[in-house]
Amino acid sequence: MLLPLTLEALLKIALLIAGLMTAAAYFVLLERWIAAWVQDRLGPNRVGVPLTKIRLFGLGQPIADGVKFLFKAEFTPGHVDKFIYFLAPMSIFAAAILVFAVIPFGSALPPNIFPASWGVGEPIQLVAAPGIDVGMIYVFAVGSIAVYGVVLGGWASNNKYSFLGGLRSGAQLISYELPLGLGILGVVLASGSLRLETIISQQAQSGAWNCFLQPLGFLVFAVASFAEAGRLPFDLPEAEQELVGGYHTEYSGIKLMMYLVAEFLHMITASFLIAILFLGGWHFWGLTDGGGPDGNTVTWVVAVLRIIVLLAKVMAMILFFMVVRWSWPRFRYDQLMDIGWKVMIPWGLANLIAVAVWVEYGDRIAHSLGLPPLLCMGLCGFVILLLGWYVATKADPTLNDNRPRRRLISPDRHVEKIEV
Amino acid sequence: MPTIIIDNREFEIPGGVKLNCIQAAKLAGVEIPHYCWHPGLSVVGSCRMCLVEVGSKDAKTGKIAMQPKLVPACNQTAVEGTVIVTNSEKVARTRAMVEEDLLLRHPIDCPICDKAGECSLQDYHFAHGQDQRRADLQPFTSRRRDIGDVSLFVDRCILCSRCVRFAKEISGTSELMVAGRGTHEEIDVVENHPLHNNLSGNVVDLCPVGALADKDFLYRQRVWFLRRHKGICTGCATGCSIWIEENQDRIHRLKPRENPHVNQWWMCNEGRYGYPHVHSDKRIVHPIRHQRAEGFNPSAECETNAAFSGNSSRGDKPLGSLSHEILDWTDLPTELNQVLRSSKHLGAILSPFLAVEEAYLLCKMLRGIDKNAMLALGPIPVVGEDEHFPKGFTVRAEKCPNRRGVENVLTHFTGKIVPYGNFLKSVEKGEIRGVWVAGGYKNDWIDEPTAKTFESVELLIVQDLFPSPLSERASFLLPVAAFVEIDGSYVNHADRLQTVPQAIRPPLGVRSAGSLLWEMSGRKGLYDAQAVLREAAHEILYFSAAAGGVPEAGIDLKSNLLAGMGKIEDSSKIQQA
Amino acid sequence: MNANDKRIRWVKEPALGMAGKSYLLLFVQGLATTLKHLVSRKKTVQSPEERHEIPDPIIYRGVHRLNRDEQGRVKCVACFLCATACPAHCIDIVAAESPWPDREKYPQSFTIDELRCIYCGLCEEACPVDAIELTSLYDLSGKSREEMIFDKQKLLSIYDQTKDAEPTRTERLKGEGGGGKAE
Ligand code: SF4
Ligand code: SF4
Ligand code: FES
Repeated sequence: MLLPLTLEALLKIALLIAGLMTAAAYFVLLERWIAAWVQDRLGPNRVGVPLTKIRLFGLGQPIADGVKFLFKAEFTPGHVDKFIYFLAPMSIFAAAILVFAVIPFGSALPPNIFPASWGVGEPIQLVAAPGIDVGMIYVFAVGSIAVYGVVLGGWASNNKYSFLGGLRSGAQLISYELPLGLGILGVVLASGSLRLETIISQQAQSGAWNCFLQPLGFLVFAVASFAEAGRLPFDLPEAEQELVGGYHTEYSGIKLMMYLVAEFLHMITASFLIAILFLGGWHFWGLTDGGGPDGNTVTWVVAVLRIIVLLAKVMAMILFFMVVRWSWPRFRYDQLMDIGWKVMIPWGLANLIAVAVWVEYGDRIAHSLGLPPLLCMGLCGFVILLLGWYVATKADPTLNDNRPRRRLISPDRHVEKIEV
Repeated sequence: MPTIIIDNREFEIPGGVKLNCIQAAKLAGVEIPHYCWHPGLSVVGSCRMCLVEVGSKDAKTGKIAMQPKLVPACNQTAVEGTVIVTNSEKVARTRAMVEEDLLLRHPIDCPICDKAGECSLQDYHFAHGQDQRRADLQPFTSRRRDIGDVSLFVDRCILCSRCVRFAKEISGTSELMVAGRGTHEEIDVVENHPLHNNLSGNVVDLCPVGALADKDFLYRQRVWFLRRHKGICTGCATGCSIWIEENQDRIHRLKPRENPHVNQWWMCNEGRYGYPHVHSDKRIVHPIRHQRAEGFNPSAECETNAAFSGNSSRGDKPLGSLSHEILDWTDLPTELNQVLRSSKHLGAILSPFLAVEEAYLLCKMLRGIDKNAMLALGPIPVVGEDEHFPKGFTVRAEKCPNRRGVENVLTHFTGKIVPYGNFLKSVEKGEIRGVWVAGGYKNDWIDEPTAKTFESVELLIVQDLFPSPLSERASFLLPVAAFVEIDGSYVNHADRLQTVPQAIRPPLGVRSAGSLLWEMSGRKGLYDAQAVLREAAHEILYFSAAAGGVPEAGIDLKSNLLAGMGKIEDSSKIQQA
Repeated sequence: MNANDKRIRWVKEPALGMAGKSYLLLFVQGLATTLKHLVSRKKTVQSPEERHEIPDPIIYRGVHRLNRDEQGRVKCVACFLCATACPAHCIDIVAAESPWPDREKYPQSFTIDELRCIYCGLCEEACPVDAIELTSLYDLSGKSREEMIFDKQKLLSIYDQTKDAEPTRTERLKGEGGGGKAE
C-alpha cells in the first residue's frame, strides 16, 4: 500500500515539474510569438532540431535559450550582498513551484492504472498533495513568499534601479494581495470549503461557474492576479524603460533564468486559480458529466476529457494574459495604487457582502421572487457588477491633477497668479 | 562716486580711477563689443566696434545733451553725468556694418581655425552681425606666414594692431608692424628680424581672431573640448597666475590669468610652453623599494634607470646587485613611519618646488618623530639674470615657485635656515642616519659626486618627479605629483601667497606628497590642503594672513613679515655668503 | 525656459467622457487593435535570404563613409565638428597639418567605433564640408570589437564602394544647380 502511494506521489511530482518547466519554456516562445505577431513580425522561427537545418517553426528556440542561460557567464557583481543575492532567486523559484502541490490539474484517474494485485481501490486524484483542507490558504501562504524573492533581490543587488524595482513591487504585491483575498473569500464563502477540489466539484455539480454567480468577484480576482503576477499593465517591478530591469537588473545566467521562470510560473498559477475558482475547473457542460463530481466512478475517457478541458481553460487565460500585455500601457505608480486601494478593495468588499447576504437569505429571496436560486444569484451578481462599475466610473478615483506644480519650480519673485 | 547713465539706468562707478566707457559699462553689466582696445595697451580706437552714443547730463538743469556722432567707447572716459546708449537702433546698425566690413575680407575657414569657439569675430557676429551676407563671397583658406615664435594667418587678421602695440609697449622689442596701406594692410615682420622675445606668446592671447597661433597648440585640440582650471606657473619666482587648459587629464596649453598684483595679463614663453615635463614618460610612476647589496656601485647600474620610470614592468626583479620592488600605496605609509621611527637621527631636504602645505606637513611629521631632525632647504635653481620688460613685467632668474614659502616653514621649525652645504657636511660626517629628500625638481638638480655623499646614509627616502643620481641610491623612491596635479599654495618672490586647486589627476600610481604625508601623520579622511594651510597660518606668524582663506588674486604676506621682523632670514644671502 | 514663461501655453488634459472613464470601451478598443494585428499580414523581411529594400539610400542612416575630394584625398578637414556633435562620443580624430600645399589641416587618423555609434546621423549634419556621410550599408559585422572600429582607410574604402550608387551631397547639389557648401 505504501509503495504504490509513494510511487503515485513521486510520479505526480515528476510529471508536474517536468510539465511546468517545459510549459514555462514554451510559454516564453509563445509570448515571443504573440509579441511578434501583434507587432506584425514573424517572431522566432529559425531554431529547430539542433545540428540540422530543420526549422520546425522555431520550436527548438526554448532549448537553445535554456542552454544559453546555463552556459552564460554567471557574473556576480562585486558590490552585492552575496548571501541574499543567491537566496533571492532560489526563494522565488521554490515558492512558485511549491504552490502547485495543491493545484489540481484534472479531476481523477480511474484506479485501474495499477495492477489489481496492488490493491489500490481508489481513483487517483490529479493533484500532487490531495486532500489538503486548507489548500487555498496554502496557496496564499506560499505565494506570498514571492514578495521576498523580489524585495530581497532588489536589496541585495545594491543598485538603485534594482532597489526601486524591489520597493515598488513590494508595495504593489502587498497592496494587491488584499483584493486577491477578497475575490477568493467570496468563492470560499459560497462553497464553504478551502479545498480547491471541492470548489471545482461544487461548480461541476451545479453547472453554474462562479464567474456567472459572482462576476464582480471574478473581475477583482482577475485584475489582482495580473498585478500579483507582475504582468502588464501592472509590470512596475520591472518596467524596463524606467528601471533597466527592475529587481533583476544585476542578475545573469541561471539566476536570472530562475527569476524569469518564476515569473512565468506565477502567470500559470494565476491562470490555474482563475480557471479553478471561477471558470469551473475541469467542468464543461455535457462533456465531463459522467463519473461523478469527485471522480469516484470516472472512466478513462471522461478523465482525459476533464484534463483537456481544464488545460484548455488555463491556456485560454494565458493567451489572454499575453494579448493584454500588448494592448495596454503601464499604469503610473499612483494610478496603480489608486486602482488597488480605491477601486479593487471596495469592489471586493461589495462582492463579499453580497455573497454573504445571499448565503444567508438567498433561498428565501429566490423563493419569494419565484425564480430558480442560481439564476437569481447570477442576476444579482450582474446587477452588483454594473452598480459597482458605475460608482467607480462616477467617482473616478484615479483622476489626478498632474500638471506641473508651477509655483514650486519658479525661483522668480514676480510669480504671476496661476489660474487653474 | 560719479554717477553715469547707461541705457536709461543710473549707476555709480568707483571714483578715483580713470575708467573708459567700456569698463564703466562692464561694471554695470553691459557689454560693449570691442576689438582693438585692451586694458593693458594704449588706446588707438581703430576698430570702430565699440561705437556708442555718448552724451552728458548737466548737473544743474538735469538736461541731457547727446553728441551728434557715435563715439568710440574705448576712448571716452566715463565721468560724472556721462550718458551712454548701447542699445539704440543706430548703434546696432553700426555694429552690424563693422562686422560686415570685417567679414568681407575674412576667410570663413572656421572649421580649421584654432580660434573657433573663443573667437571674438564669431561671437560678435552672432550677437551683432547681419544675418545675411550681401556680397557674394566664397570662403577661402588663409595665407600663413612664419613670423618667428608664432604663426601668422595673414588673411584672418582684422588689423586691431593689439599685437603691434604689445611688441612696442610691453615687450619693448617692436618686431611687429603693419605693412601696406588700405586694403593691403597686413601684419608683418622685417626680414631677418622675426618675432622673438620671452613674452611673444602673449600676442596669441591678445589676437581677438585666429590670426596669431601658438605653434605648439596648432591643430592639437578644439578649444571647446578644453576645461580651464586656476593655476600658478612654477617656472620662476614671479609665480604668474595662469589658466591650465586641459582635456581628459592632458594639458594642452597654459594661458595667463589676470592678476593685477602679479602678472597683470601676461606670462612669459618659458612658463607658457614649460609644461611638457608633466606628461613626460620619464617620470617616476611607482613607489619603489631598493635593497642595497654589498659592493654596490650605482654607476654600473645606470641602464637600470629605465626601471624606475613608467616603462618598468611590475613585480620583483633583481637587477645586478640592486634589487627593486614596486610597492603598493596601501601599506606604504605605515612602513615608512616604521622605518623613520627606527632610524634615530633624521634629516630632510625640502626643495623650493614643494607647496607650503607639503613643506609644513613634512616638517611637522619629521619633527614629531625626531625633535632635533635637521631640516634644510634644497638647492635653488638660478639661471642667468632677472629679465625686466618696459612696463614692469619681470621673468626671475630664480627658477622655482616657492622659496619664500618653504623658507618660512623651515624657519618656524628650525629657528634658522640650515644651508644645503651644511646639511651635506652633516651627512658626510654621519650625523644623520635617515634622510627624507622631498624633491620635485623639473630637471637635474644633483650631480653624481653630491649624490655619492648620501651613500653612507642608512635610510634614504627620495620623492621626486624624475630619476636622478640620488634616486638610484634611495632605499625608498616615491613618485610625486607635478604642480598641476596638486592642491596647494606657493609664495612668490614678493611674499604673495596664492592657492590653487588640482587641475588634472596625476598619472596612475602617483600620489601627491601632501596626501601621503597627511596619511602618515595620522590624519583622517582625504587630504585637505586648505585645512593644512589654515593650521599653518595659525601656527606660523608669517602665514597668519591666510587663516581666513585666500582670495583669487592671492594674499600679501609682507605685513606679517614686518610684524615678525628679525625672525626671518633670507637664505639667498646665506647661500651666497 | 522658466515654467512661468509667457510663451508657454498650458493645455488642459482633454476630459474623458463616461465611456472613457468606465474604461470598458477603451479596453475593448485596445484589445480589438491588438487582435487585428495578431492576424494581419507580417512585414518581416527574412534576412539573409531576402534583402531589405531601402526606399531612399540617400537619407538612409547606415555605416559611415569618408568622402574624397576631386584629387582623391580625404575630404575631411579635421574640424572635429562631427566628434563634437556625436552624442555617443564614438568619433576619434587626430588632426595634423596637411602634407598638401593647398590645404591646411587634415585628419591624421580618423576612427569611428561603429559599435558605439547609434546611427543618429548628427555627424553628417554637422560636417561643414560634407566629408562624412552615412551610407545605406546596414549589415556590417565583425569577429571582434577591434574590427568594428573603422579607421580612415576603411571609411575611405566604403566611399569607393558606394560612391556610384550614392552620390555625395556636394555632387547632388551640383546636379540641382545649387551651390554646395564649399571647403
Ligand atoms: S551617426 Fe550619430 S552616433 Fe554615429 S558617429 Fe555619427 S553622430 Fe556619432
Ligand atoms: S565634421 Fe566633417 S570635416 Fe569636420 S572632422 Fe568631421 S568629417 Fe571631418
Ligand atoms: S575698441 Fe574702440 S575702436 Fe576698437
